[in-house]
Amino acid sequence: MSQPLAVRLQASGCLTALGNAVATHSALLRGEVALRARPVLGADGGESVPLALVQGRGFDETAPPNWLPAVRALVATLAGEGWGSARRPVFVTSSNFGVGSLYAYRRHGDAAHLAFGTPHLCVEWLARELGWGANVTTVSHACVSAHLGLLLATRALEAGLAESALVFSFDFISPFVTGGFNALKILNAGFPAPYADRATGSIGLGDGAAFAVLTRDTGDFSITAQSLHNEMHHFTANRADGAGFAACLEPLRGAAAGRRVWLKGHGTGTLEAGKLESAALTAAFPDAPLVAWKGSLGHTLGSCGLVELALASESIRSGHAPGTVGTSTPTFSPAVIVEPFSTQTTDAVVCASNAFGGAHAAFILSHA
Amino acid sequence: MLERYLHALSLCDVADEDPAVTRERLKDRFPRGATRRMTQLGLLVGVALDELTPLADDTVVYASAFAETRALEGYLDSFPSASPTLFQTSIHPSAVQQALIGRQHAIRDFFPLTGRAHLVMQAVQTALLSRAPRVLLCGGEERGTWLLQQKVASDRSFAFALALSAQSSGAIARISLSPIPDPTAVDECSLHDFFSALRERRPLDLAGPAGLRLNLTWR
Amino acid sequence: MSDPLKTRLKQLIVTTLKLEDVTPAELADDEPLIGSGLNLDSIDALELVVTLEKEFGVKIASSEESRQALASIAHLAEFIRARADPARIAG
Repeated sequence: MSQPLAVRLQASGCLTALGNAVATHSALLRGEVALRARPVLGADGGESVPLALVQGRGFDETAPPNWLPAVRALVATLAGEGWGSARRPVFVTSSNFGVGSLYAYRRHGDAAHLAFGTPHLCVEWLARELGWGANVTTVSHACVSAHLGLLLATRALEAGLAESALVFSFDFISPFVTGGFNALKILNAGFPAPYADRATGSIGLGDGAAFAVLTRDTGDFSITAQSLHNEMHHFTANRADGAGFAACLEPLRGAAAGRRVWLKGHGTGTLEAGKLESAALTAAFPDAPLVAWKGSLGHTLGSCGLVELALASESIRSGHAPGTVGTSTPTFSPAVIVEPFSTQTTDAVVCASNAFGGAHAAFILSHA
Repeated sequence: MLERYLHALSLCDVADEDPAVTRERLKDRFPRGATRRMTQLGLLVGVALDELTPLADDTVVYASAFAETRALEGYLDSFPSASPTLFQTSIHPSAVQQALIGRQHAIRDFFPLTGRAHLVMQAVQTALLSRAPRVLLCGGEERGTWLLQQKVASDRSFAFALALSAQSSGAIARISLSPIPDPTAVDECSLHDFFSALRERRPLDLAGPAGLRLNLTWR
Repeated sequence: MSDPLKTRLKQLIVTTLKLEDVTPAELADDEPLIGSGLNLDSIDALELVVTLEKEFGVKIASSEESRQALASIAHLAEFIRARADPARIAG
């Protein structure tokens, strides 16, 4: 259901292969592609596929995971203390957590990896490293995970259970996940071109981490509505009539009525989902420009909703949104914008993500 | 204070039963052919949910610390020729998806949680903050093999599902969260502890890190 | 006379996909493998692709290509004959 409470976005930030939110936003405006062809199984080889790793990080798993310094650097930009205390809850969201550690353990037998392999061990370790208290709720629903964290944080604020809430998302790719997507044949040698009308679809995968601090009344931006829908039609396919996408977007149409919106789509680069998603978005919000950024950053999985929230807010703040990097015409819809565009004539952005199982999530972000 | 009433309860405990035995025993509870890719946890959660007859407007909250361990183990064993089925099945929250996709049962709000010491408190909070008329709070674990030897998997397989609503009449229990003045001393409760309390119809009184006290009282 | 490659493919399909209540002999050569009465879907198709790649050393690059290859048993046999080392087909 749509959530009428408008929470404020007090702060947000992200880390991608292109750097922090400002650096990533600038690079996307320049049309830079972060993805590079790398062996799908790292040191174990395999075909070359497009992957985007944060700068200086090796792909193969280490113990402790080598992405901790990147997370520390991101969290260092987060103001405030006492996260994880009773009135300042943390909502951690991820799809993979440290599961790459289990791959490393199985391949190489080093038991040191086991300390990071399950979601709770990984989050408990991360919370210790980052100085968070025990009030840390962990949400995992593949690539809509971050949206669920935002909604749970919103509800905690609405119920008066929190003064402010931190939503933190991360997913750092490993052979575990690249091997899986490669087996699904959607991660292959081709580079992603979201919403491009071409013969073969493909995605890239990328590292991503991000945070958002939500409050009831402080911050320059508002999240004015949130919506979820779970098709439960098929693990890797959507209903062919696009009804699942439409059902998620429908509650947001009323919240967006009278506003000039632009659309930040999921846009991984797969064909069927890209076609259905772009059709549903443009049907729900006619004439709104549509972009997606995974053609550069790769799909940052469970973190994508929050990474792209940080980039969308940077787009509004700067007045310029990056185009759909990596894509060229023809596209599935004329609404797809390939080049950067001005957000100054718009009032809000609809940010949408999708996940395995036909899970859909979307929210509206605007100036407060 | 937040509160909901427990109207229906479904429990499945198979301890260390072999997954193949569970599949054979439960396959008639699912559409023909649907169980061949299901995990033991998917079967158990599926049966538990099915007994509560999910509705499209229900919110579903799902809690599991380890989730689909056997699929995860199988997927890791399948490298370098990674199995797409086992990859897909190993991803949280596959158990609920296996069950609901098998029945083509769409739902609006679905919150899959994971965690350990405070997972029960957090799942209850998520359920009690829902605006849906009815919330199905479900969860479970699946016994591991080589991951269990390394103590990173559950040692038993079980699942549960609760139907919660705001109506008190006809309820079998009440579950509430109320503020506590000093949230420094918090209790821990594993998913299996919660399962045992449900099975034994034992009351619970737990202080959680969100500054809330969970009370489960039976009628 | 039955085609040994098709017979082998049918056996592989039943075993790989853990088909219940179906024997290899019951699989027709020309019926669609995916989306037909067997209730197989795109994930089954991909699981088969992994098995075929291991068994015959062929490479199927994308989900679109796998869909074409798995149109039917007959189509799949043709695909394998065109791509695989004959020694592995005989094997």
